[in-house]
Amino acid sequence: MSKTILTIDDSASIRQMVSLTLSGAGYNVLQASDGEEGLAQATAHRVDAVLTDLNMPKMNGIEFIRQYRAHPSSTGVPIVFLTTESDGELKRQAKEAGATGWIVKPFEQDKLLAVVKKVAGS
Amino acid sequence: MNEAKRAGIAMQALVFELGDEIFAIDAAQVREILDEVPITQVPNARPFVDGLINVRGRVVPLADLRVAFGMTRSASDQDSRIVVIEIELAGEPAIVAIYADRVHDVADIESASIEEAPKVGMRWRSEYVRGIGRRGDSFVIHPDLGRIFMVESGMDGSTENAERGSQ
Amino acid sequence: MSTPDPADTFRQEARDLLESLEQALLDLEQAPDDRELVDSVFRSLHTLKGSGAMFGFDEVADFVHEFETAFDRVRKGESSVTPALIAVALSAGDHVGKLIEEPGRHAAQGEPILAALHDIVGDRGAVKSTSVPAPSDGARQARTWRVRFRLPDDALALGTNPLLLLDELRELGECKVEALADDVPPLEEIDPQVCYFAWDVTLTTEAPREAIEDVFMFLRDGMALEIESLEAGENDGPSNTDEVSSMPTKAAAQGETQVQGAGRQGAPATKAGKGHSSSLRVPAERLDELMDRVGELVIAQARLSQITGASDDLELKTVAEEIERLSSGLRDITMGIRMVPIGTLFGRFRRLVHDLSHELGKEVEFVASGEETELDKTVIEQLADPLVHLIRNAVDHGLEDPERRQRAGKSRGGKVRLAAVHSGAEVAISIRDDGAGLDAERIRAKAESAGLIAPDAKLSDHELFQYIFHPGFSTASEVTSVSGRGVGMDAVKRTIEALRGSIELASEPGSGTTVTLHLPLTLAIIDGMLVRVGEGRYCLPLLAVEECVELPEAEITEAQGRNFLNIRGSLVPFLRLRELFAAGGEPDPHQKVVVVSSGESRVGLVVDQIIGNNQTVIKPLSRLHADLGTFSGATILGDGSVALILDITHLVSFGRGFEQRLRDERMRREA
Repeated sequence: MSKTILTIDDSASIRQMVSLTLSGAGYNVLQASDGEEGLAQATAHRVDAVLTDLNMPKMNGIEFIRQYRAHPSSTGVPIVFLTTESDGELKRQAKEAGATGWIVKPFEQDKLLAVVKKVAGS
Repeated sequence: MNEAKRAGIAMQALVFELGDEIFAIDAAQVREILDEVPITQVPNARPFVDGLINVRGRVVPLADLRVAFGMTRSASDQDSRIVVIEIELAGEPAIVAIYADRVHDVADIESASIEEAPKVGMRWRSEYVRGIGRRGDSFVIHPDLGRIFMVESGMDGSTENAERGSQ
Repeated sequence: MSTPDPADTFRQEARDLLESLEQALLDLEQAPDDRELVDSVFRSLHTLKGSGAMFGFDEVADFVHEFETAFDRVRKGESSVTPALIAVALSAGDHVGKLIEEPGRHAAQGEPILAALHDIVGDRGAVKSTSVPAPSDGARQARTWRVRFRLPDDALALGTNPLLLLDELRELGECKVEALADDVPPLEEIDPQVCYFAWDVTLTTEAPREAIEDVFMFLRDGMALEIESLEAGENDGPSNTDEVSSMPTKAAAQGETQVQGAGRQGAPATKAGKGHSSSLRVPAERLDELMDRVGELVIAQARLSQITGASDDLELKTVAEEIERLSSGLRDITMGIRMVPIGTLFGRFRRLVHDLSHELGKEVEFVASGEETELDKTVIEQLADPLVHLIRNAVDHGLEDPERRQRAGKSRGGKVRLAAVHSGAEVAISIRDDGAGLDAERIRAKAESAGLIAPDAKLSDHELFQYIFHPGFSTASEVTSVSGRGVGMDAVKRTIEALRGSIELASEPGSGTTVTLHLPLTLAIIDGMLVRVGEGRYCLPLLAVEECVELPEAEITEAQGRNFLNIRGSLVPFLRLRELFAAGGEPDPHQKVVVVSSGESRVGLVVDQIIGNNQTVIKPLSRLHADLGTFSGATILGDGSVALILDITHLVSFGRGFEQRLRDERMRREA
């Protein structure tokens, strides 16, 4: 059975790019446009990994990671966040909240795929 | 059509009767020919296009060339047909329908028999006629449908409909 | 299915982001201390930058990066929000728009904007920060490494799969893996979420050390990792042994958050239960296509109902009813999809007013209401230009300059209100200014000089005002750069009428002008009432119908003159559709009056028979009938014939004309 990846980003183009890349590699992709929606999706479906942006309206990525990690269904689910700058502070907060890893934007599709394979398997 | 004539090309034409006259229109612009269908009268519309019909889910205006050619409008009978055609209206393609008392056939009208409409001595507005052909003993009128629809529907701004006229 | 191009998606997204950036900036001008607005500006910029860089819009990413850097000073409270800052930020936003629409053509224009921006926030000489990728070693010979790692306690819970890490090491080269179970506690003490194993891997690979480190990139500061070269003289020393001491504290912090979070668990879970929906962008043509198909379905369904109505087959009737229910549900959903709140348009007007007020030196307060009012997307799309024109008019011609207002005893600042409200089958959108009002004398003078009216013609102000809708009629004696464009009120009127709407004008000298647009809710399918007039059947929008009454006996004999009906004390003008349509045949002995309304006005329509309600799929009339105001379209009935749809606004204004004439007559008699 193919793995399900949830991508959370307020940028539709990023979501689309992530979705195209991952579904092209055989993953199921769920999408959400902010942390709130992401949390609803992540807790309602069985997901194998989450890719989330940090800077989002309503609920930002850090808060999403915190709340999701507080939910039992997040156990064993890797969370990778996307970040635009190599901002140490944000990265530290995200990791403290329970993120597994990160990808720095802009990134190539290959890199994305490699990271997802790394955390979720193929 | 005049170009066709000069080039010596024959025209495939749908020949039909209306009143005492025989008309021929380019067969390429004919979409379909319908037997009698319910016609909805459009109050206050110009007499030339005072009807609407349903052609496969599309509301299509029904025009009567007899109005344009000053002929009397007689009641329809079992030979009456409605010819659905495609014309260009103010640069845009449009589907319209016209009455026919009787549809003859599709015929090759020899280009040589299409004569330029005589400007003088015609009963009709000469701009409405593209040419006159001969078919056996009778004359065949090649109407300029684009022109007729523009003028008779007031799209060229020359006439007013009853509604506007009364206001 | 064609694959969407993310670059296109980005362009669309960027338009939305720029729109919300603009709104936030305009809001910020009003509320300079609102942190949330500053954050929202920042977020828009951030996403623009990030996504722009992703999809090759480097100019955008670079420019926005600078923009963001400057704005960061505002966010950090090092610079304050001033009108000057907003003005430059708005033009920076516009510039980004250009960079996106026409890459490679506008880059040079960005410099002065950025310079102005940096000047205002006071960070001239800001250093452009660029991320430098870590240098990597070149290709090497295969070497053997010893890799030892132990995962942090929470690694499994956080989604790290040690087997995947091992797989990844295997991809780098030949591996010998040994699991070290030294730390595994007795069974009863085992926490299944904690990883007790450590691994010792001997790896032979051509890949550099960084490649091995990359395998653990997400874990390194929380784990014990040793990478040792087994080649002679290649031991890199202790600096490469990552033993992170902060691990226990981190785990503690993690535990704390979990406890904290546990209490909140309920909320997201219930939300998830409701199946939180995400939105989807669909090309507009597909919606149009869907609507067409649904229209055909509704017509086919009407035919089916007609046929089964005459049948005795109960089973057939049941199925037909089921299909009727389904198709009407499908119709409602499809129409709902097409409805867009008018607020999507209002946004751009704030910017328009903002710019106009600067340009014209007028203080303008712009108030919009009814943003949530929904209209068919086709209508919304067509409304933008007319509204821009009307608002421009209101600010430019409607409002006086501050001095003149002051002299007239008004506040220096003028007010322009834009309001949208539902009423019956239509939406009314009004643009109202508190300016000087229309100058009837000047309109008359212009109309006379243009030969539109005779010098001695007696016209009410209301009638005079209608001349501003005449082509080429513009009353502003000095044409300003703002309003003196090619489009005039005549174009506005044409557009509105093409949408089957109408336009109304009211003006009070000294206190302002109100322009009201009446628009149909939808151009697709409506609930209709079918009536018979003579031989013909006509459809009217059910939402416009207020009530149906019998035509009183007394009225039947008085065909001329008193065309008014007394309905519970109020006089309602009525139109005999038989006369209006020159219908043949005998009138029905029991004629009915259908009272319809549009805005404030009502009119009674006298018909021969009320047939019933039906779903009306609106088909536009061809251009050959475009000049018939009485009909807004046609529809196809269950029996396949065509019925015309009555244009309520047109008929009501017809009735209003009646009223007017009656009043005039009465005034003449009294005089």
